[in-house]
This record gives sequence, structure tokens and C-alpha cells, in this order.
Amino acid sequence: MANTNPPVVVAQEIGQIGRNFLREVGSVFWFIANMFEEALERVQHGRVPFHAASFFRHTERAGVDSVPLVGLVSFFLGLTMALLTGYQLQRFGTERLIPGLVAIAFTRELGPLITGIMLAARIGAAFTAELGTMQVSEEVEAIEAMGIGPLRFLVAPRMLALFLLMPCLSTVSNLAAIFASSLVCKAYFSIAFPYFLDLVKDSLLIRDIITGILKSFLFGLLISAIACYRGLTVKGGAAGVGTSTTSSVVTAITVVIGFDTLYNIVYIVFFPT
Amino acid sequence: MVELRDVHMQFEEKKVLDGFSLKVEPQERLVIMGQSGSGKSTVLRLILGILRPASGSIFFKQFEITRLQRRKLQRVRQHMGMVYQYSALLSSHNVRDNVALPLEELTDKSRTEIDKIVDEKLDLVGMKDTKDLLPEELSGGMRKRIALARALVLEPELLLLDEPSAGLDPVIASVIDELIINLSEKSKVTSITVTHEMDSAFRIGTRMAMLYQGKIIEEAETEKFKQSKNPVVAQFLSGSTEGPILEGSLDAITKK
Repeated sequence: MANTNPPVVVAQEIGQIGRNFLREVGSVFWFIANMFEEALERVQHGRVPFHAASFFRHTERAGVDSVPLVGLVSFFLGLTMALLTGYQLQRFGTERLIPGLVAIAFTRELGPLITGIMLAARIGAAFTAELGTMQVSEEVEAIEAMGIGPLRFLVAPRMLALFLLMPCLSTVSNLAAIFASSLVCKAYFSIAFPYFLDLVKDSLLIRDIITGILKSFLFGLLISAIACYRGLTVKGGAAGVGTSTTSSVVTAITVVIGFDTLYNIVYIVFFPT
Repeated sequence: MVELRDVHMQFEEKKVLDGFSLKVEPQERLVIMGQSGSGKSTVLRLILGILRPASGSIFFKQFEITRLQRRKLQRVRQHMGMVYQYSALLSSHNVRDNVALPLEELTDKSRTEIDKIVDEKLDLVGMKDTKDLLPEELSGGMRKRIALARALVLEPELLLLDEPSAGLDPVIASVIDELIINLSEKSKVTSITVTHEMDSAFRIGTRMAMLYQGKIIEEAETEKFKQSKNPVVAQFLSGSTEGPILEGSLDAITKK
């Protein structure tokens, strides 16, 4: 008979959630490992794992088509950040710190994070819905039945596209935000463009740029893996596609923010200077 | 060519196959009949190695499908062609790319050679003029024919057909059936068709098998099968509501 003691029930629920979480993490890990295995097998046989056309189609959709959104949102954020911090810093006569503050905040943290969240919503949802629809209409099974590895054929080009495009889009985000803050600095705090650029160059470290780029690669990998995994494990027809798409976006955004925090902790603890 | 020995299969609590055994000889056109949800499509997926049975063995030629590693299984699948109930054409690819897909992915043929084979197969199914169309622009019957061309493009030894004429009007259904017969005779392909469409089954099959409660309860040459004394087969063929198939469930339906 099931135990009805409230603390036991709560503990059981937590245990169940923990078990499901670990099962999901394990499944995504094996999903990525199997994709690499299938792709490498093809390379060993002297064949490309997927067609270049398929890869470029996804890079165009995930990358080029996302530039306006990423650029615009980052521009507004950069504008807001420069304005809000500027007025506070002005009280202490330190408004010349704005360029460095925005540049460091975006290259190191906000650029990859904002881009990750936007791509999880825009491209992650698209990948999950597309693969999920293929799954419920037996297209994925048909690919498998032909003797073609569905992971290397469907997942590898999407993952590689997002993996390579994320740092580029993060850079777009950084540049848009820095440009926006330069407009604010010029208009409200009388900081001319050449001086603004000097201040940015003085405050930015190579380490900040590398941190942001490494994070972007990681986020690209995580978002695409979660989106494709959710898409290929859809069950239950059209409703299942909807549920998986929502779950994919929520999971990817949570994982991106979680990994960002973890990354910062590890980076600050192990590489303090 | 294909043999299933004492195969058991269940999805969660539901037992689908319960000691299923079947042998298919080369160049035979076997039709497996059975009620909806009786596990007919599951049998095809087991032969392809997409599903794994709980127990039992499945052989295709000298290969034991149930024991093959993924890499070897993918190679074996290239000797089989599958036509799905709803065609399962890739919706983002046009007809040419759908048919060419196995050739582009699994062979070293040049684009010219691939185009030649695609033209040949599309011609075979009477769909040469649809090369640039997307699946959404095709009717159900046309999609089935394209799916058939795709299944045949690697010259398979075994053709698996899941409800090939389901959802089609009687004329198009007959066209598809004739096409299957002609193609299997011309290319000397062994085929396994699962269907509950009686007319289609008797047209296509050289041998019939009846799947009931997870087992093959009757198998015979087409003419012999029609005369079967088995009460389940007799009821299924006549479409009568009286008999062992609906025993119990008919009472429940009428009581409602």
C-alpha cells in the first residue's frame, strides 16, 4: 500500500522528479554521443556526414535570419543599460565608465545569454516542431528504414549550424549594444565616438571576449541538442508536437541560464585573475 | 527469405504478438490480414529492425535481425524497401529528391547516374512528370506511387507494404495493386503486404496469412485461403458480425 505520510510523499515526489531529470540528462547525452558516432562512421568511410546544402539551409535560417531580431533586441538593451547606469554614475562624476561597463557586460555575459534565450525561442522551437512533425508523420522512421542514420542526416547539420552560428550572433548582439550605448553616451553624457572607442578598448580584455565566445559555442550546442532531442522523441500526434515544442523552449532557456551561472562560478573560482 | 520464430512483442501492458511465427519464401507475395490494431504493421517494423521483440528470432536471408548491431542493420535495411500507409515522403523535399535520397546517401553514384535511375523508377510508376512537385501538391494515390518508386530505387530483394491501398478510391487502389504485382514480377522481388482491404489482398497475394490475437492462425495459397473453414478467417472474409471475432465485444456494443 502507498505511504500517505506527507513528508514521505513529498520525498517520493522529489525522488521521482530527480530520477526523471537524471534520465532526461542521460538520454540527451547519449543522443549527442550517438549523433557523433553516426557522423564519424560516415567520415571513416570517406563520405560526408550530411550534405553541405542542408547545413547552409540551417545556417541561413538560424543565423542570417536571426540577425535582425538579435541586433534589435540587443540595441534596445544596450540603450537602456547605458541610460540607466549613466544617470547613476553621473551622480559620482564617473559616466566615462559607461562604455566599459556595457562592453564588458555584453561581451562576457549578456550578449551570449540574450542570444541564447532568443535562439532557444526562435530556432529551438522551429527545430523541435519540424522534427516532431517528421516523427509523427513517420518521415523519420522512413529515413531509418532506408538504412540512413537519422541522427547524422537530420540532427548533425542543425547542431553544427547552431554551434557555429551562436558566437557570430553573440558578436552581433555585442556590437549592437555597444553601438546603442555609444549613441546614449554622445547624446546625454557628451562622450564623443573616438573617446568612447578608446574607453571600450581600455576596459575590454581578451579574456572577456574569449569567455563570451566559449559560452556561445556551449549554448549553441545545448540549445540544438535539446531542440532536436525533443523533436525526435515526440509522441502523440499534433498535440505531442505542441507539448514538445513548449517543453523544448522552456528546457533550453532554463539550461542556458543554468549553464551560464555554472560557467561563471567555475570561471571565477578556477581563473580568478 | 524472411522467417519469424516464436516472436513475442508487447507495448506496455498490451500484448501485440504472442508466439508469432511465419516463413516467407523468395519471390512470394505474402499478404498478412488482420483486424485494425492486431499488430500487422508491427510485424513489418520488426522485420526492418525498427522495433525489437521481447523474445523470439527474426531472420532476413542469413541475418538474424534481432542480433544485428546498428551499423550492420543499416546495411541490411538497404536490401529492403518499405512503403508506409501514409507514404512518409519527406515533406520538405520534392519528388525527385525523395526518390533520389537513398541513392545520394548510400551509394557513390554521380548526379547524372542518380537522375537516370530516378527517371527510370518514376517512369515505372507512371509519375515522371511530377519530379519538381512537393508531396503536398500530390494526391494520396500519387504519393503512394512515389513512395513505391523510392522503395524500389535501391533494387531491394524484399518489399514491405503497409496498407498500400488504404484511403484510396477503388480505381486508384486497383492501379496501385497492379503496379505492385507488375513490379514484383518484373524485378523478382519478394513482398510482404499487410492490409485489411479484402479486394486488394486477394489481387496482390500469392499466399495469405491471418493474424489474430498475436498469432498466425491460418496461412494458405490465395484460393485455399478463401475456402478456409477457420471460423475467425471465415468471419473476417465475410465481414459478418456473428462469429468469434466480436464475441463479447458485440454484446458490449449492442448494450450501449
